[in-house]
Amino acid sequence: MKKIVTALVSGVLAVSLSTSVMAKDRYPERDITNVVVWSAGGGTDVINRMITSEMAPFLDVNINVTNRPGGVAGSLGMSYVHKLKADGYTLVGLSESVVASAVQGGWDQRMDVWYPFIVGGSPDVISVSENSKYNSLEDLISDVKAHPKTIKGSAGGAGSIHHLNLLAVANGTNAEFNYIPYPGSAPAQTAVLTGEVDFVITSLAEQQQLIKGGKLKPLAMLVEQSQELDGVGVIPSAFDKFPSLTKHLPIMQAIGFAVKQEASDSVKAKLTDAFNKAIAGPKLQEWAKSNYYVLSGLSGEAASQEFAFLESLFSWTLKDLGSVKVDPTALGIPKPSEL
Amino acid sequence: MDILSSFSVFGSTLLSLLSSPTNLLLLIGASFAGIIFGALPGLTATLGVALLTTLTYGMDVNTALIALLGLYVGAIYGGSYPSILINIPGTAAAAATALDGYPLALKGQGGRALGLTTTASLIGTLMGILVLVVAAPWVAKMALQFTSFEFFLLALFGILISGTLTSPDLVIKGWIAGLLGLAVSTIGRDPLQFFPRFTFDMPDLDQGLEVVPVLIGAFGIPQVIRALRNKESLGAMQEFGRILPEWSTLFKNRKNITRSSMIGIGIGAVPGIGEDIAGWVSYGAAKNTSTHSETFGTGEPEGIIASETANNACIGGALIPLLTLGIPGSPPAAMLLGALMLHGITPGPMIVVEDPDFLIEVTAILVLCSIAMWINGMFLAKQVVKVLSIPAPIFLPVVTLMCILGSYALGLNIFNLYMMVLVGVIAYFLGEMQYPISPLVIGVILGPMADENLRRAMMVSEGSLMPFLERPVSILLLLVIVLVLLSKVPQYQTLKSIILKKLGFGRTSKKGA
Repeated sequence: MKKIVTALVSGVLAVSLSTSVMAKDRYPERDITNVVVWSAGGGTDVINRMITSEMAPFLDVNINVTNRPGGVAGSLGMSYVHKLKADGYTLVGLSESVVASAVQGGWDQRMDVWYPFIVGGSPDVISVSENSKYNSLEDLISDVKAHPKTIKGSAGGAGSIHHLNLLAVANGTNAEFNYIPYPGSAPAQTAVLTGEVDFVITSLAEQQQLIKGGKLKPLAMLVEQSQELDGVGVIPSAFDKFPSLTKHLPIMQAIGFAVKQEASDSVKAKLTDAFNKAIAGPKLQEWAKSNYYVLSGLSGEAASQEFAFLESLFSWTLKDLGSVKVDPTALGIPKPSEL
Repeated sequence: MDILSSFSVFGSTLLSLLSSPTNLLLLIGASFAGIIFGALPGLTATLGVALLTTLTYGMDVNTALIALLGLYVGAIYGGSYPSILINIPGTAAAAATALDGYPLALKGQGGRALGLTTTASLIGTLMGILVLVVAAPWVAKMALQFTSFEFFLLALFGILISGTLTSPDLVIKGWIAGLLGLAVSTIGRDPLQFFPRFTFDMPDLDQGLEVVPVLIGAFGIPQVIRALRNKESLGAMQEFGRILPEWSTLFKNRKNITRSSMIGIGIGAVPGIGEDIAGWVSYGAAKNTSTHSETFGTGEPEGIIASETANNACIGGALIPLLTLGIPGSPPAAMLLGALMLHGITPGPMIVVEDPDFLIEVTAILVLCSIAMWINGMFLAKQVVKVLSIPAPIFLPVVTLMCILGSYALGLNIFNLYMMVLVGVIAYFLGEMQYPISPLVIGVILGPMADENLRRAMMVSEGSLMPFLERPVSILLLLVIVLVLLSKVPQYQTLKSIILKKLGFGRTSKKGA
């Protein structure tokens, strides 16, 4: 209990102190707090805990991970960190989904307020249940074309990265699915196991155990590369049979953290250095390989570009779905085609 | 793996864990921390596991599991303390325990009640573990029978049953409170299409109402107001009765314990729901099958045994889909999944192939955790009863402070604090008008589940209600719901006794279990 209280108290202290103490060149002098905008135990949380504990030794301070979920698409955590001083003592742990926060009315900032570091993500895969009649993506798509709007697919919540992948598959193949929303990837996958839906699109990391255990039958990877899976064989790329998909895919996860763009160059340089060393370290490489994540390691300008693309894609897709509160044009978000 | 080698793995895991003093200390410490977490309003098992996850990063898997599972088991049990002593459930899971626990404490038998819940929690946890080891694949298969249709009915059932159980005068008042909770739960973005409902353009309402501030406000604030008004303490002075297990009472309750465990395991195994509902359903089942159901709510030991056995049995149940399919069975189990992934273990169907001993190791650790919980409980129960002897002028402000801290701690959002006070004042007046508060809270907890699943079910069936009558589990749940409703209609009671008499059952008062 003591440990937890200490952790709690130090977390709160660090947060409140960071508003009053200025960061100078001696950064970091005290513990850093990483505020993850999703709840503990999720993919973003796990990756943030891992990267920060690998970075900590290179910065010579502790990095405490706290969670501040809620609001719209992580807006609570982002607004909270954004209000604090740009001294580098508070980071925000985020994923690609937060880019939709502005158009959904969560907050009034664009993604360019952040200086992001992308750890990576897991590629999406489309799967059916073990005893499904579909044995390939072609089977599924031709059946969907024969019975439009009746074949049910799940892909996590409306407006999630997996939903965007599902929409991209629909657009690229001219197939009309009946999309059933679930609050997350796990319930979406369970829905295939219970037979409530016919197929599911989530990440390979989330599906790998079910695929290897024979509960799910993978049809295709939604990225350019095929994927070898121990004991299962090769999962082909959907692009092989449907080349038109390249116009819409891949849309990859971008999990990582960010510091405020206004932070000083020395803070950014120190974080980048520790980040690069942590990414290259054996622990992360090993973990990524065994959990089917693709490490990105992008930071700064390159990572900002990635987030700008995702922001545009998410915002305009959601606008097409009719589920935006604020028009992307009002926020100055360009269309994907204009990028 | 055959049974003999399972046993040897089990034994060697136990031995290796017990031989390390650090592990032992950690076990006792985590279990203690869990009990405190459960006992403090607002700090839940889910939050506890989440906070501890960071601290376990550097540990090896078994050590981390000792800490995490120790805390989990402790927190589910710890929620019963404030339920019994001051009628403020520490966690939603322990809300049903307050119904009979608090009256017992008022009679001066708080110590006895705590003793009973401690042992009931131990038995519940062990039963859950037993089923986890023996029947995991079958239970997991059963859990997969639950689709949106069944989830909706289950949520509806939970709200209805808490309504019928707690109403001090008219049953309909319980249902009104439940419906009020349901209505309030629709505030926020709707989970399927993300449309804002009743948010009045306030960003704080976008996420809907948080359960914890509602729970604390609804139970804590009225309790404090009442104590202030009557210038009295929250509980009566306690005679330090037996804390040690009353074997005879437990033996008399063997049917109750078995039934409650099975209910707990079953509800724990169904993905996404857990301890919160298990306590209620089990309490309801105990009351409805009892020969003296009128004594429930007045300090009936059977009531607390039912709810506490069930919520702890949930742990084993919730681990079944987690370890066999990678699907967490309850909110704290979802947190546990994250912790395991942090340690490079992805639970799922392949775990038996990739790491055949893992399930047995988890079992061994769970057994240790439940024993640690019991030992801690035996020491603590006697001490915590003493808090009631603290004079009200000191105790009341402390309780109020705890309520405030608890609402704020989750999410560190000041809005939750205002919400808690508002809910508290409303709950106080509802209470004064003899409306039960529990159904309201259960409505808030289960409302989103009912709403989301009914609408999703309609999307899946393309608008048809027929699947409700075509799916076996769904039919079963519908029947139970109809029975619960009918049992409250006086004409039905008369009809039933006539039918039973005609069939040759002389004693109509005794129903079969």
